[in-house]
Amino acid sequence: MNKSILAFAASAVALTAPQIVMAESDPTTLTFWTFQQAHATFFEDATERWNEANPNRAIDMNAEVYPYDQMHSNLLLALQSGRGAPDLADIEIRQISNYLQGDVPLVPLNDVVEPVLDDMVKSRFDIYSKDGSYYGVDYHVGASVMYYNEEIMDQAGVDIDSIETWDDYAAAGEQVVENTDAVMTTFESGDIFSFWIMISQQGSDIFGEDGSVTLDNQTNIDTLQFMQDMIYEQEIAVPAPGGDHHSEEFFGYMNNGGAASVMMPMWYMGRFLDNMPDLDGKMQIRPLPRWEEGGNRSAGMGGTGTVVTNQSVDEQLSKDFLAFAKLTEEANIRLWTVLGFDPLRHDVWDSEAVQADNAYYQYFHDDIFDILLDIRDEISGVNITELTPTAQQVIETNTLYSTLRSDSMSAEEALTQAADEIRNRMR
Amino acid sequence: MTLFSQTGQAKREPQTKVRYSFLYSRKIAPYLFISPFIISILILYLYPFISAVKMSFERVLPGQVFFVGLDNYERVFNPVFFRALQNTSVYVLLTVVILTVIPLILALMLNHRLTRFSNFFRAAIFIPALTSVVVAGTVFRLIFGESDQALANQFLSLFGASALDWRYGSATAMFLMVAMASWRWMGVNIIYFLAALQTVNKDLEEASQMDGANAWQRFRYVTLPAIKPIIVFLVTISIINGFRMFEESYVLWETSSPGYIGLTVVRYIYQQGIRNNDMGFGAAVGIILLLIIFIVSMIQLYATGAFKRED
Amino acid sequence: MVDHRHEKLISLSMLAVLSIFAFLALFPVLSLLVASLSPATDLMRHGLSPELFFSKFDFQNYVAIFTTEAGDRYWDWYLNSVIVSSILIALSLLFSSMVGYALAMYEFPGKRIIFILVLLVMMIPFEIMMLPLFQLVITLGLVDTYFGTVLPLLVAPVAVFFFRQYSLGLPREVMEAARVDGCTEFGIFFRIMVPLMLPSFAAMAIFQGLISWNNFLWPLLVLRSNDMFTLPIGLATLLTPYGNNYQILFAGALLSIVPIVILFLCFQRFFIAGLTSGSVKG
Repeated sequence: MNKSILAFAASAVALTAPQIVMAESDPTTLTFWTFQQAHATFFEDATERWNEANPNRAIDMNAEVYPYDQMHSNLLLALQSGRGAPDLADIEIRQISNYLQGDVPLVPLNDVVEPVLDDMVKSRFDIYSKDGSYYGVDYHVGASVMYYNEEIMDQAGVDIDSIETWDDYAAAGEQVVENTDAVMTTFESGDIFSFWIMISQQGSDIFGEDGSVTLDNQTNIDTLQFMQDMIYEQEIAVPAPGGDHHSEEFFGYMNNGGAASVMMPMWYMGRFLDNMPDLDGKMQIRPLPRWEEGGNRSAGMGGTGTVVTNQSVDEQLSKDFLAFAKLTEEANIRLWTVLGFDPLRHDVWDSEAVQADNAYYQYFHDDIFDILLDIRDEISGVNITELTPTAQQVIETNTLYSTLRSDSMSAEEALTQAADEIRNRMR
Repeated sequence: MTLFSQTGQAKREPQTKVRYSFLYSRKIAPYLFISPFIISILILYLYPFISAVKMSFERVLPGQVFFVGLDNYERVFNPVFFRALQNTSVYVLLTVVILTVIPLILALMLNHRLTRFSNFFRAAIFIPALTSVVVAGTVFRLIFGESDQALANQFLSLFGASALDWRYGSATAMFLMVAMASWRWMGVNIIYFLAALQTVNKDLEEASQMDGANAWQRFRYVTLPAIKPIIVFLVTISIINGFRMFEESYVLWETSSPGYIGLTVVRYIYQQGIRNNDMGFGAAVGIILLLIIFIVSMIQLYATGAFKRED
Repeated sequence: MVDHRHEKLISLSMLAVLSIFAFLALFPVLSLLVASLSPATDLMRHGLSPELFFSKFDFQNYVAIFTTEAGDRYWDWYLNSVIVSSILIALSLLFSSMVGYALAMYEFPGKRIIFILVLLVMMIPFEIMMLPLFQLVITLGLVDTYFGTVLPLLVAPVAVFFFRQYSLGLPREVMEAARVDGCTEFGIFFRIMVPLMLPSFAAMAIFQGLISWNNFLWPLLVLRSNDMFTLPIGLATLLTPYGNNYQILFAGALLSIVPIVILFLCFQRFFIAGLTSGSVKG
């Protein structure tokens, strides 16, 4: 109580006395670490707007982009050694549990998150929370969809709206392979998304809600076998060139019409715009095929939470800026218009600003948010545990490789082995 | 000013003599000469070495350290470690053979009286040693790209072979790592052999030729014994460097190699100790690696008779 | 004459074999040159295709490295590499030349132990001690500093051997004369002997410089921020996706080896002396 009164008083002072402070306040330098150039650009853009709105609390944004692995391990070490951490940082969903063990070296964001939580997709905040404290703000909902290359699908004689189930999808694949030079789709063998989306869609996961390992359950085995069969039995899919859907090899392959469709979350739209210019206007977004009657047509996948570290030079400023950059309506509209992300605030999804024409609509046609609103209740989340980073590593390096890439193990063998390996770390 | 400093000097001089007399001592001087080095060894080698041993019996958490006995060692012997050890051993074997036999043959050629442009060839083959492994990795990734259009695959297609996913198969992955190391170190080892070949007794060689020894016999009985120390040296160095391999694997697959095809023991230490922040376990893997290197080196030195020579 | 023709045959076949190996050695360097003159994103997507060797050169990558922000960053890495290598060369040469000299010129108790110590240091791989050393560097607050980066390389056993070997050939009678003149032992070393040892310093400077310039694993652990990276670490960050600075990667990789190659071509003798020093027996 006292705290919020103080905060109110402080902001009242700040509001009423800008001209006094303005004259001599030097901008505070805030450092932000991320592994995504686009995120850095987004924060730099937000800084400009912040400085216009808050000239007395001006920020000098120092956004640093590092490779995924390097950034996460450096951040972890910096937080543990109590030295060298930035003010703000991006932590990817699969890494977050490393930071939430023991004394959390991050600043709780409850005072800026709670006032707006009702307008948000709450499950995205739970991922980055512990014992009632919210530590991270995500960029997007991560609704998974199917991106179809309509040109190829037309050539194959398939109407994409006729694809209701995964069986339909596989049948369409046969037609694509028969009538075109393309394959139906690519699956990631060096990253976890293809597999995770497909099991999550069916309510299954790597870990159960109680944290137990469910990786080797029957649903997962059947799903991975289905993927493997699409590649090696039906020969309608291939492992993604370059190993995942972020490699240049894949971009080149897809851009040249190598595959008729690819399954990724909504946030992947930006990659199409930036890296696959030749597909402009050819791509259509559709909900995922269902596994069964009434099943989910999407899954919430991926994510990156921006956190404030306890080494920040000015925790309050960092928090306020983060709220400004990611929680306001304006911010959520920009998450869409600038980054092409499905923003967390569902109250902006049908707003005029979001519906207004932009590059994404031109590339993917204008029904994007209609689809999102349509599947809104079918976006299940994933269970994140302390062992998620380990599980990710095991699955990415070995399980998917030996099934989807080298075809040296059956889905059952590979998943049983992986599950045992993860359980082994639990003791 | 001058006066001032002169008086100052005059005052100080007798004192200096007393206080710094050890500078003139021949007994103390050598210790002063070696002290920075010794201090560095103590801080940078001895202390970390002892802590590595200690750490291997601990579980290291931020701010907390538990003694866990042999727990880490029990965990070391798992399938992933054995895969890393297998990769590393194959790599050591291949690099040792390739990086001693071929440089020796090339050095013999470069040293031959009938060889022309010897200096040019020596310099050309040496140039890769000047590149960093990141540069080497960048080029190798371009040449051995998985696309049909990449150089290596185009080369294969000349012989009607189909394109390979170089960085995704275990055999081709090993080929890439060994090829990168061979490319970078070939020239260096040639230089070593060339230096050693200068020590071969020319008179003995001529005498044996007069006696009708053929080229092979001259090599076997005159040249080989003379360069044997350098062969032992190079094999030892190659074994140690092979077991230390990390960089070749890192630049080919940054995060983790698919199906562990590029996992080496040191990479496993890095992955577990740094990336997964399990330092105690990483240290235990390190100690096991040290034992392996020690045993292999001993066997090799014994087999090549290096010990006999010393006695 | 039969013998003559026989020799000709040997000479030609040796020439052929050596040419093949010289080609294999130089071809990747040539490929890098071609790559640096080709469109960067295409290279990452399709690898280096043979056509690029014959297509028109495109200087875009070099333009980028001199004009873009990412290019500025590259030159920061370059500067860092120069600084780190210089610090290392200065400190490690000072330390190891003193030890090598002492081992050669003085008789003192413990000399053998020092020798064995140096040998042991050579045999124990640094990677074993990497984790505790890393903890130490964190405790000392040397993470992300130049000094922290050169630390483990300060102990240079190969250089110790080399300086010892070289010092054995120094004139002892000069030492005696200097002592008579009232010179301190340090004075003898720094004023008289070091100038005589200059060629060995050149060889070791190149040897240590090469190691430091290309050093990878330790800087990867210690260096945290973009503006502290050395060239290999910086270039490695460009290899990963999300970076989108491939232009800098290829031109930068080539430019990173240029100074070394020039040094090599000018001072081949010292390179070779430095490298073969590892084999001198203790």
